[in-house]
Amino acid sequence: MTFELEPRLRARERILEEIRHMLIERLRVARHPDEIDPDTPLFGSGLGLDSLDAVELLVCLDADFGVKLPDDVLGRAGMRTVNSLVDLVLAKRESDAAVGG
Amino acid sequence: MPPLEDEILAMRSSVAVSRMDHVCQVRITGERAYEALDRIVAADLRIRDGQLIHSLFLDEEAHPFADVFIASDEDEFLILAEGPRPEALLSYVRRHLGSGAEVEDRSAENAVVSLDGPYAWELLSLVAGGDVVGLPYLTHFRFDRGICYRAGKTGEYGYGLIVPREQVEDLSRLLLERGSDLDVREAGLEALDRCALENSYFNIRREGREPLTPIELQLQWRVSYEKPYVGSEALSRARREGVRRRVTWLLAEGAVPEGGDIRLRGRSVGRVVNAGHSIGSESIALGLIDLEWAHPGVPALQITENGTPCCARSITPPLWNNRSLFVSPQIHSYATRHEFPFPPLARA
Repeated sequence: MTFELEPRLRARERILEEIRHMLIERLRVARHPDEIDPDTPLFGSGLGLDSLDAVELLVCLDADFGVKLPDDVLGRAGMRTVNSLVDLVLAKRESDAAVGG
Repeated sequence: MPPLEDEILAMRSSVAVSRMDHVCQVRITGERAYEALDRIVAADLRIRDGQLIHSLFLDEEAHPFADVFIASDEDEFLILAEGPRPEALLSYVRRHLGSGAEVEDRSAENAVVSLDGPYAWELLSLVAGGDVVGLPYLTHFRFDRGICYRAGKTGEYGYGLIVPREQVEDLSRLLLERGSDLDVREAGLEALDRCALENSYFNIRREGREPLTPIELQLQWRVSYEKPYVGSEALSRARREGVRRRVTWLLAEGAVPEGGDIRLRGRSVGRVVNAGHSIGSESIALGLIDLEWAHPGVPALQITENGTPCCARSITPPLWNNRSLFVSPQIHSYATRHEFPFPPLARA
């Protein structure tokens, strides 16, 4: 188990960078990538996203990462912080790799 | 059930009423109140009348001095601060406030009572009227007893009632009476702090005691790099130079000591800066961890103090399916809560 830890964390860091750029470029978050901490809340105070942004975020997660979430309260509950999004993308990629591999 | 766990359960499933005697207040007035306050607070002070922002006052080394909500109220600003004593807050603001603005201590006259929980809005509507149901997050309005604002640090619906201090006993009694059908409970600061930790809210009385910047504390969303303010130079310098550690949430199989050494494969990678018992027999902890490992998904961590190890893993908070995410004031009520298939409180 432990020998897989470092590659998994480096994969996490790459996804984190991709998510930060998606938030800046697609969701118009007016921050530099290094200002977006991994556990920053997405909605409310945090990055200040609103309900319209939530719909756009669902579209981006699907288009950019192949992550499909329902457009309902359950789907939005999975999008609490930047790290919540990283978890979703990482799980999707690991699932794809398991199926493909 | 121990009283503390009972208080937390009320916050997570119904509503809890808390006296916020640790919150101090100052009011900023004057024709240049906005400009003067904008040179102190770490966030851009972009708020309209009736809104609040959540930010920080920093010291000159960019370490948090106060955890603040700032409310814009008819050309004046009300600061609600956790961390310093009232006299220390007053001294800090006076020291840094420029000309054209005055500061007035409000802590002696006013107090805050908070309502937190998925049905906090329902209890509040019984006391402050039905308008509270539509109150957006980080806004406030006046009611017959004082000012009501919506904020909270528990992950649930949260409201603060700012009222004259002599009315606090009467208001608390009224809330507990009116809320009996909602199974309301009185809750203390320890319950509020536990819920804040479980939902990854910053606690200035715990990790805030450490000499850390908003970068290490993952609080950059509360600061600006676009303007000068107290601590901004030190913060920009820390950003340029980079930090070595970052706070990360941990779930541990047993009690965790604050200050405990966090080890991975026998090597120290950080230490615990906040901790508390959480779901079941597990503890939630906040670790200050080397950047290389400061991510969720690190298993097999060991936390030690005095030689007794405790197993832990890093996680993505929150630990709860906060019921408030699923409760809509337009649809639900505490009386009909069993008619809806809400997810279990604890996340799998």
